[in-house]
Amino acid sequence: MTAAPREAVRRGNASRLGWMRRAMRRRAAIVASAVLAAIACVTLLPFYWMLSSSLRTMETMFRLPIQWMPWPPNWQAYALAWHAQDFTRYFLNSGFVAVAITLSNLLLCSLAGYSLTKFHYRGRGVTFLAILSTMMLPLEVTMVPLFLIIKRLDWANTYQGLIVPFLVDGFGVFLMRQYMMSIPKDLIDSARIDGASEFRIFWMIILPLCKPALVALAVFTFREAWDMYIWPLIIITKDSLRTLPLGISLFMSSYGTSWDQLMAIAVLGTLPMILLFFFLQRAFIQGIAATGLKE
Amino acid sequence: MYPEARAVKLAWTLPTVRPGRSIARRGRWNLARRQAAFGVAIILPTLAVLAVFRFLPMLQALYLSVTAYDLVHPPRFVGWANFVSLLHDPLFLKSARVSVTYVVCSVVPVLPLSLGLAVLFNQSVFVKNVLRSAIFMPVVMPAVVMAVVWTFMYQQDGVVNTLLGFLGIDPIPWLRSSATALWAVILIGIWRATPYYMVIFLAGLQAIPADYYDAAKIDGAGRWGTFRYITLPLLKPTMLLVIVMNVIVAMKVFAVPMIMTGGGPADSTRVLPLFIYQTAFEFFDMGRAAAMSVFLFVAVMVFSFVQVRLFTRGEESR
Repeated sequence: MTAAPREAVRRGNASRLGWMRRAMRRRAAIVASAVLAAIACVTLLPFYWMLSSSLRTMETMFRLPIQWMPWPPNWQAYALAWHAQDFTRYFLNSGFVAVAITLSNLLLCSLAGYSLTKFHYRGRGVTFLAILSTMMLPLEVTMVPLFLIIKRLDWANTYQGLIVPFLVDGFGVFLMRQYMMSIPKDLIDSARIDGASEFRIFWMIILPLCKPALVALAVFTFREAWDMYIWPLIIITKDSLRTLPLGISLFMSSYGTSWDQLMAIAVLGTLPMILLFFFLQRAFIQGIAATGLKE
Repeated sequence: MYPEARAVKLAWTLPTVRPGRSIARRGRWNLARRQAAFGVAIILPTLAVLAVFRFLPMLQALYLSVTAYDLVHPPRFVGWANFVSLLHDPLFLKSARVSVTYVVCSVVPVLPLSLGLAVLFNQSVFVKNVLRSAIFMPVVMPAVVMAVVWTFMYQQDGVVNTLLGFLGIDPIPWLRSSATALWAVILIGIWRATPYYMVIFLAGLQAIPADYYDAAKIDGAGRWGTFRYITLPLLKPTMLLVIVMNVIVAMKVFAVPMIMTGGGPADSTRVLPLFIYQTAFEFFDMGRAAAMSVFLFVAVMVFSFVQVRLFTRGEESR
């Protein structure tokens, strides 16, 4: 059996060897693809099950044998669920809060990153470490006193209560700082010689150069803000201010067994993130990758 | 050093040594100072937000942890009492144990799973982009939605038990038994975390220069040898970071147990953040909740410290 390749070597038949190597590499690719496809089934199952169950009727919900494709699809659950609570309002609230937090993070994180890389003042290193150390203070640790502060400010049940504590994030500052370190200082100096004001330099030269980092930061921040649950749960009791995660969990506790409607709301609550993912796939994955180490 | 900084220093120490150039120098000094002032001004909003909404609450948490406070009567100083009673409270000890179990069991499997996936994706694979997007999807699902959908799937006659039935496994009362509820929650944690860290590992793998692999090939190293002696050692910092990030995320898990089980059955899924939340906002025992937060803070801090060190490594010289 092993004679063939050896023969090929002896005769210097490179093309035959190359063909064998290609065949082996192909086989490895087929095996790897098969393994990954099997894993993809596991990661996609909840999505598929959520979607298909939202189209089932309650009578067929748990029927066996398993009905993978409910037919005819039953769209009623969507309208019923949407109007059972003020989900339009929850959607708008979540969108507004997430967009506001994202925009302010983009601005403040890049300003702070710019300051930490391109200016010299006493205490800059300590400032950076202090900002970085806020990563040690997650909301889960500080929620009790933070709630007391918000109450003192009379910001419970307000948009500012939902937004202001998250206007800027230590990790975002770190991300922008790392990116801005690679921007040459000469660029700024020559703009200064041309008479551009400091803010204009930041706005017209630095920010456009940071576009990849900004997109990654935006996607990352938006995802976190859209996902936020514990904080609105603590400070929001008014229905008109509920965000989508609050609305969904409330719906779950009051319509706990109407699985068709629950799945319909789950689909609608995931849809914005799925759309964002499909349109900004590269940025999305880079946003996650950016949370790792930079070489 | 930076020439500007040196110029500023010079201007500070020798303002009038050479009178002939003092005007020019003072002009430059003012310019440098104006620039530094701009640099300080643009970081102030960030510092203000972080001071009021991160550092101040932390200090206040330390203060509250030595008081008894029920939101109605003013805080009353009680010394170590909160900490002492917590350490003797079987519910707290149980909660701490649940949290540790959750962290260990949801972090350990993610490491080989996410690394394995990244290695598979780092070679030639058919329809790579489609598969990568498909496997990435759990990261996209909001935590609350995830809790709702998995609660549905974990029902007694739900899809998970149906699929297990195909393998000849009897239905498991996932969320209704204290023996399995925590594992159900852990499985979801793994389902969500694996693709996230896969992306980070992929970035780490792609940062390894191809020369290393070419050299290994010339030396006749096989697949396993290359992985063992080149990929793994070079990925060590990434692996450490993945562990640390994952531990921190796992310590903060809240939405999934809160919605799926509310901490039950029989306290088997009451992780520490959930217990803090319930103590503070259901039993209004702010002092006790703050003392628990201090325990959580110490745990998070140890790991965050490693993370910060990783992020700033090689910067000591600057």
